[in-house]
Amino acid sequence: MDDVVPLFRMEGISKRYGGVKALENASLTVQAARVHAILGENGAGKSTLIKIMSGVVAPDAGRMLLEGQSVQFANPAAANAAGIVCIFQELSLIPDLTVADNIVVSNPPTRFGMIDRRAQRRIAEEALARAGGEDIHPMALVKDLPLSRRQIIEIAKALARKPRLLILDEATSALTAADVSKVFDVLRRLRAEGLALLFISHRMHEIAEIADDCTIFRNGRNVATYRAGSKTDNEVVELMIGREYSHVFPPKKPLPPSDQPPVLDVRNLSWTQRLKDVSLTARAGEVVGLGGLDGQGQRELLLALFGVLRGASGEVLIDGKPTRIGSPRVAKSRKIGMALIPEDRKTEGLMLPMSVRDNLSFAALGNLSHAGVVDQRAERAAVDEMIRLLAIRTDGIDVPAGSLSGGNQQKLVIAKWLMVSPRIILLNDPTRGIDVGTKEEIYALLRKLADSGAAIVLYSTEYDELVGLCDRVIVLYDGAIKRTLVGSEITERALIGSALNIATDDREPGAKPVVEA
Amino acid sequence: MTTDNAPLPAKRPSLLRRIDPAIATAFGCIVLLLLIGSVYSSNFLSPEYLLQQLKVASFLGIIATGMMIVVLMGQIDLSVPWVVTVGAMMSAAAASYGVVGETLAIPFGILCGVALGLVSGFGVAYLRIPSMIVTLAVNAVAQGLMVVYTGGFSPQDTATFAMRFLATGTTILGIPNALIVWAITGALVIFLLSRTIFGRAVYAIGNRERAAYLSGVATQRIVLLAFAISGGLSAFGGVLLAGYASKAAQSMGDAYLLPAIAAVVLGGTSILGGRGNYIGTVAGVILITLLQSILAVMQIAEFGRQIIYGAVIIAMLLLYGRERLQR
Repeated sequence: MDDVVPLFRMEGISKRYGGVKALENASLTVQAARVHAILGENGAGKSTLIKIMSGVVAPDAGRMLLEGQSVQFANPAAANAAGIVCIFQELSLIPDLTVADNIVVSNPPTRFGMIDRRAQRRIAEEALARAGGEDIHPMALVKDLPLSRRQIIEIAKALARKPRLLILDEATSALTAADVSKVFDVLRRLRAEGLALLFISHRMHEIAEIADDCTIFRNGRNVATYRAGSKTDNEVVELMIGREYSHVFPPKKPLPPSDQPPVLDVRNLSWTQRLKDVSLTARAGEVVGLGGLDGQGQRELLLALFGVLRGASGEVLIDGKPTRIGSPRVAKSRKIGMALIPEDRKTEGLMLPMSVRDNLSFAALGNLSHAGVVDQRAERAAVDEMIRLLAIRTDGIDVPAGSLSGGNQQKLVIAKWLMVSPRIILLNDPTRGIDVGTKEEIYALLRKLADSGAAIVLYSTEYDELVGLCDRVIVLYDGAIKRTLVGSEITERALIGSALNIATDDREPGAKPVVEA
Repeated sequence: MTTDNAPLPAKRPSLLRRIDPAIATAFGCIVLLLLIGSVYSSNFLSPEYLLQQLKVASFLGIIATGMMIVVLMGQIDLSVPWVVTVGAMMSAAAASYGVVGETLAIPFGILCGVALGLVSGFGVAYLRIPSMIVTLAVNAVAQGLMVVYTGGFSPQDTATFAMRFLATGTTILGIPNALIVWAITGALVIFLLSRTIFGRAVYAIGNRERAAYLSGVATQRIVLLAFAISGGLSAFGGVLLAGYASKAAQSMGDAYLLPAIAAVVLGGTSILGGRGNYIGTVAGVILITLLQSILAVMQIAEFGRQIIYGAVIIAMLLLYGRERLQR
């Protein structure tokens, strides 16, 4: 494959942020009409690499060649013009605009100086069709659509810019298996059209399915490039983390029967049309999973338990006693001891510009202060303890939380809640977009917390997590419980089956809100 | 003299490392203004002149302190003009009720401001009305109440001795009392912002209200409290102004809204909330006061003064905007 001039090549690229080396002498070659996967732990330099390719940041050293010509991108628009378009990990859609508005947002078609609505709609429809989202109405508001649909729009938006090299940074991490296979069909078609695709994902099986070539990054360098399928998963993971990769999930312990009332007992919880008569229990030491396709009420269920949703009806018993949880403040109080690790660490879990210390201690300040005045010594000790306990990689506790890598940010969110010593821990997809090593640490931590007596309710979009971690899984569909799997019943097949059985006769469940728009 | 207000911050060793470029620029501009002024008149660098300026700056400083807390949350308080006037008029009014009135004049004026701040805060936190609208409405209501109270004329009540003492007196080494009052207020607010749960929550709300709420912080209560503090400090500024002028007057607070916002923003506090340092506000207040003073000394006609004043503020903000882009 070396006899043709590669579409894109970068050589000797280095980038530092302050004292931290994000990339050091990294190189990468991307061929047209191939899917090139980039693997690496969070913090390995993948994000920085992509930001350099797409003109978001400038490299300190090194050069980039597009079809053999040296290029420099002053800004993302310049990279776009050269045909390099990136779909970033964070969703970049504007919720209050329509799908069509979003797709052409950077360069809308105009007629007499006004936006040409008809042309805009046509472009949007074309792009949506190419992205496999024919069922999305271009005039629907983005905020009405579930996450998985938004990701399709994100891809359509990128395609509307006519890319030659399309970068997908964790673009599938929010998608369910059904959506991913749809996206892959689209990617295969784009590849056949001659596009070069750069694919970043933490899901190994996705990479195995779609990639032609793979490059592994570690500590800011490319450590290996190989043809997809020429290395085993274990070899790949070893290259990524630089150590041997053993069993990922900690062993489950069967819970002895107990006549104690469950720590958390929810009865007939309902909320508008999104949650219907959901009842579940979680005992101390138990990990209860929430399964099902994305957007079936799992997120709402966790928020309702945490007292966020107004107008939720039903009964919640804590230690067998009826309890009203009206706000997160009540939920975290000592009597209830609940914690919620929210879905989006960047907007819900952390205040990114604030320091690691301020973020970590924020939820637990009540315990670290006297009469409203923060006891700085106690705070410092508690924060240091947490950083040590969870092995959070940070350049001190006064740096902004936003300067940490994604995996370490997620650890920060978890640590922040461990500081209040919760008895009931709700987690909303806690490993989304996180590297294998950190995932493994989080799995071990969750099991350890359960073993020490916490009741854990976990929602995950990855079936193998539910299989590997949970003692019991509740599968939701359209806001109601469809099936409960216990112990050895929990298999990937059973999970997918119970999530999809219901859905196969219908259209994609996510498409529903579009129709009336 | 900035050292007078600066003694508290060196708590965290890292503070030196991350001095806000905006604060440095503000202090740079202060030096520049003094140099320009000294070209006009050598009096500009005399201790008497500087102390006089700092005394004048104290009133704005106290009002801008409340504004800063609100801006840190990503909100704004536009009720400053008439809350200042309410503080002035109500404290002077209380003074006419014998000995009890005399002693309670200052707290009564401040409490009236707190009450108005609570109304604004309730509207923002619980009714979810944008602060720009609520505080503007509260300003109008306060104006109406004062017009009813005075019948539209300047009230005849005079300030108490205590008010005049705080606003115009000097105690140790010729340092104006007003300046000492400002320094104490500033020290308290620095403590409040950097060492208390309330302070952390204010910054957190300014950065991500949703994350703060999901962390189990009573965000509504914090917002309510912050507006109450802002109202109280505005009214306290009015109390001191009444002491300075010996009496309250209609629309005496009008001249303080834009300078208060400008001082906060020039001091490097992000108008979107979440970021800012009280030392910056101190610098901003001094900067605005010096600018006004120099324009007055240059004897430029009123319209020219207004134009230059506004243009300089815009120019400075542009300067800051560039710095932030470079980060």
